[in-house]
Amino acid sequence: MSSRPPVIRVEDLHVWFALPGGGELHAVQGVTFELREGERMGLVGESGCGKTTTILAMMGLLPATASVSGKVILEGKDILIGGEETISPHRWNDIAMIFQGAMNAFNPVKTVGAQIAEPMVLHGLATRKGARLRVAELLDLVGISGDRADRYPHEFSGGMRQRAAIAMALACSPKVLLADEPTTALDVMVQAQILELLVSLSSTLGQELGLTVILVTHDLPVVAQVCDRTAVMYAGQIVEMAGMSEIYHDPRHPYSRMLFAATPDLLGDEEVASIPGAPPRLDREIAGCPFRPRCDSVFEPCATLSPPRREPVAGHEARCHLNDPALTEMAS
Amino acid sequence: MRGADYVVKRVAFAILTVFIAITLNFVLFRALSGDAISGLRCRQCSVAFKEAQRRNLGLDESRWVQYRLYLADLAHFDLGNSVPSEKPVRGELVEPIKNSLPMIALGTLFAIVFGTLVGVVAAWRRGTFADKGGLYTALGFYSMPTQWLGLMLIFFVANAIGLPSSGIKTPTLGLFADASTWALFSDRMKHMFLPALTLGLVLYGDYALIVRSAMLETLGEDYVLTARAKGLKNWAIVRSHGLRNAMLPIITLVALSLGFIIGGSITVEYVFSYPGLGLLTVEAIDKRDFPLLQAIFLLLTLSVIFFNLLADLLYFRFDPRVTT
Amino acid sequence: MSLIEPLQAADEDGLAHGIAKTSRPGFVRSTVFGSPAAMAGLGIIVFFVVVAIFAPWLEPYDPTAKTGPVYAPPSGAHWLGTDDGGGDMLSLLIAGSRVSLGVGFLAALVAMLIGGTVGVLSGYFGGTTDTVLMRFTDYMLVIPDIPLMIIAAALFGRNLKNIVIIIGIIYWTSTARLIRAQVKSVRERVYVKRAQALGAGNRRLVVKHVLPQVAPLLIANTVLMIALAIFAETFITFLGLGDPSTISWGRLIENAFTGEATINNAWWAIVPPGVCVTIVILACTMVGQSVEDGLNPRLRVGHLSVKRFRVRTPAGPEASK
Repeated sequence: MSSRPPVIRVEDLHVWFALPGGGELHAVQGVTFELREGERMGLVGESGCGKTTTILAMMGLLPATASVSGKVILEGKDILIGGEETISPHRWNDIAMIFQGAMNAFNPVKTVGAQIAEPMVLHGLATRKGARLRVAELLDLVGISGDRADRYPHEFSGGMRQRAAIAMALACSPKVLLADEPTTALDVMVQAQILELLVSLSSTLGQELGLTVILVTHDLPVVAQVCDRTAVMYAGQIVEMAGMSEIYHDPRHPYSRMLFAATPDLLGDEEVASIPGAPPRLDREIAGCPFRPRCDSVFEPCATLSPPRREPVAGHEARCHLNDPALTEMAS
Repeated sequence: MRGADYVVKRVAFAILTVFIAITLNFVLFRALSGDAISGLRCRQCSVAFKEAQRRNLGLDESRWVQYRLYLADLAHFDLGNSVPSEKPVRGELVEPIKNSLPMIALGTLFAIVFGTLVGVVAAWRRGTFADKGGLYTALGFYSMPTQWLGLMLIFFVANAIGLPSSGIKTPTLGLFADASTWALFSDRMKHMFLPALTLGLVLYGDYALIVRSAMLETLGEDYVLTARAKGLKNWAIVRSHGLRNAMLPIITLVALSLGFIIGGSITVEYVFSYPGLGLLTVEAIDKRDFPLLQAIFLLLTLSVIFFNLLADLLYFRFDPRVTT
Repeated sequence: MSLIEPLQAADEDGLAHGIAKTSRPGFVRSTVFGSPAAMAGLGIIVFFVVVAIFAPWLEPYDPTAKTGPVYAPPSGAHWLGTDDGGGDMLSLLIAGSRVSLGVGFLAALVAMLIGGTVGVLSGYFGGTTDTVLMRFTDYMLVIPDIPLMIIAAALFGRNLKNIVIIIGIIYWTSTARLIRAQVKSVRERVYVKRAQALGAGNRRLVVKHVLPQVAPLLIANTVLMIALAIFAETFITFLGLGDPSTISWGRLIENAFTGEATINNAWWAIVPPGVCVTIVILACTMVGQSVEDGLNPRLRVGHLSVKRFRVRTPAGPEASK
C-alpha cells in the first residue's frame, strides 16, 4: 500500500430500517473500509447482504425509514454527520453512481445529452453551451458518437445506455464512482466491454481524474476482472477484505471460500458447489457468528461469540474465529 | 416526421369511432325503442297526429331504409325536428351550447388548476400533513354526488354570499333601462359561479387524486433516484422530472373524464336551472323528445371522441417513445 | 411486477429503496388490516350493510306512511325530522340504504363479471381474441357513460333490474382493461409456463393459476365499482329515471330538490341522504384504493421524500438526533 491518504473512508457504518409493523432491520452492521486514489474495490455478497444499502448510505440516498450511524470521510471530512445537508453538496461533484439496471436510470422523455448535462449546469461547472461540448466529449470517451446526445434513451441499446450512464457519472469529474451491478442485465460481450471501460477509466484517467471505483456485484468473475481488492459482505458485515489474489488463493473466512467454490469454473470441469441454507434475518439480534448455521467449520466459540475484525496477514482482514490462534488452540 | 403512422392511426380510429357512435345512436333510438312516437307526451298528441309524425320521420320504412335516410340526413347536418315543438333540432341546440360552454370551461379550469396543484404538492410531500389534508379533501369532494353538492351550495352558500342560485340572468335586468355590457357580464358571471364551482369541486377531487397517484408513480421511478444522486433538490426533481412525466397519464385521464364532466353538467344545470345543454337534456327526457335527445347524445359522443383524439396527439407530442 | 413474487433475501435491498415487504397469501386482508384508512372504510361498509339487512326492524316508522307534519324539524319523535310528505326521514334513510347498497353491489357484480371475463379471455388468449375484445372495449370507453346511461334508462323503462344492468354494462370497460394487463403479466410467469408445459388445460390454468393472482386486483376494482354504481344510481334517480316504486338515497336527494326543501329551510331533508352516499362512496374508495395501491409496486417505492433518513449519534440505537 502506498502512503497516499485515502480518498474515502467509511467508518463503522450502521444502517437500520424501521419496519412497517414496528421493529427494526439492522441492514448494515459496522462496515469499515477505505480506498485510495485510483483504487478499485469490489463489494460482493448475496442479495440482501447490505452491499447496495452501504453505497446508498454513502450518497445519503436512503429513504426516510432509514437511520444511520458512523462516518463517511471524504478527503478527511465526515460528510455523513449532518445527513442530507452535509452530503448533498458532494453528490455527483465528488461521489457519483451508476445504478443497477441503467435502463431505468434515464428519464424516457428527456434526451440523453440533456440528462448528462443536467448535473454540470446544476453545480455550476458549465454553461448550457459548454455543457453540450463536454457531453460530446464524455460520450466520445465511453465510445458513443457525440452526435447521439440528442437522442432519447429508448433509442439506445442496453449496452449503450450503460455507457451513457457511465458518461453521466463522469460529468462532474467525481473522485469516487460507485457502480451498483453495472453489468447485470447485459449480455456477456457487452458486459466485457463495459468492464474494460471501467478499468481504463480508473487506470488511464486515474492520474488525471483520480477516479476511485467501488463495484457492487454478486458476480465474482466480474470483480476478478476489474478490481484490485475485494470486500465480501455477509449479513450486513464485511466478513473478509483483501487483495483479489490473496482472497482467492488464501481465503480466511469459510463464506468467501464457499463463495469462490460456488462460482462456476470457466473450464467447467469442476463440480459447482452451492452454499446450503439462507442468510439470517436481520430484524433480530444474532447470537454468535451470523454465518454459523451455514458454515462447514463451526467450533465452540461460534455459537456464543460474535467474531471481531482481525487482520491475520497485513492488508487481509476477516471476521472469523478460525483466525484467532487462542480460540483454535483451545478447541483442539 | 416521427411517427406519422401514429397520427394517421389515431385519426383513423377516431373516424371509425364516430361512425360506430352514429350507428349506435341509430340502433339505440330507432331499433330498440321501437319508435319515438308512442312514448310522446304532448297536448296535441292524438292518434292521427302520431301517425303523421311517424310518416314524417320515415318510421314506416324498413330499418335499413331508415338507417340510410338517417345517414343521409346527418351528412347534411340535418338532425331532424324536435317532436313536440316541430322545430329543427339543430337550432334548439345553439343557445344552450353557448350557455353551457363557458360554465363548463370555468369549472374544468378550476378543477385542473387546483387539482394539479394539490395533487403535485400531496405527492411531493407524501405522508405529511399537507398530503393527508389534500388527499382527504379531494376524496371527500370526489365522493359527493354532484347534484347534492349543488343543493348544499344553494342551501348553505348562495344566500350567505348573495349569489343567485338559479337561472342565467336576473329577469329584471335590462327590462326597464338598458343594462351596460359590464352589468350584463357580471350578472352572467354571478349566475355562472355556483354551477361552475359545483362542477369544479367534484372534478377537483377527481383530478387531485389522479395527479397525486400519477406523480407518486413517477417519483418511484429509478430516474428520480438518479436525479437525487445528481444533486437535484426535491422541488427541482418534481419540476424537471416529475411533472413532465406525470403529465402523460394525466392527459389521458383528464380526456377520459370528459364523459363525466358532461354527465356532471347535466345534474348541475338541472339543480341550478341553468339553461344549458344539460337542462335541455333533462327537458328532452321529460318530454321523451327522442330526436332532440339523439342529437344531444351524438354531439356529446363526438366531443368525447374529439378530446380523446386530442389527448392521443398530445401524448404523442410529449412522449418520445410513442412511434406506432 | 417482481414484487409480487415472494421477497425474502431481497427484502433488505427492497427496504433500501423504501419498499415494504408483502407476501402473496392473504394479500387483500393484510393490506386492508394494515391501513387505518382502509380499516375505517371497511368498518363503514359493514355498518351500512348491517343497517341495510336489518332495515325493516330498525325503522322507527313505516317509511312510506305520513307520520308527522310536512317538513317538521328534528325532534324526539322524529330524530331527523320529516320530508315533504310528512314521512320520517330516519326511516326513509334506513329504507334507502337497502336499494342504494343493493344496486351498488349488484351493478358492481355485473360489471365485474363482464369486465373480468373479457379481461381474462383477452389477456389469456391474446392474439385475435385480444385484438377484437380490446377494440370493442376501446370504443365503449369513448362513449360518454353518463349520457348513455340516461338514454338507456329513458329507453328501457324505470325499474331496478334495468338500472342495475345498465350501470353494470356501462362500467365494465375499465375493469376489463385492468384485468387484461394483469392476466398478461401473470401468464408470462415461470410457474404458469411450467404448468402449461406439464399439460395443464386452459380451464385449469385459468382457475388454478391465473385467477388467484388476479383476484386481489379484481376485488379492489369491484369495491371501487360499488362506489361508482351507487353514484350512478343517485344520478339516474335524480333525473327522474329511477324506479318510482322504491326508496333510495338518490330518491331522497331528488325529493329534497323537487320538494323544494331549500325554500322550506329543511336542511334535515337535504343533508342526511347526501352524507350517507358520500360516506359510503368514500369508504369504498378508501378500501379499493388501498388494495390497488398495495398492488402497485411503483407506488411502494418512494425515491423522493421531504422526510429524511436519520443520523444516529454513535452512542447506540436509543440515542437519536
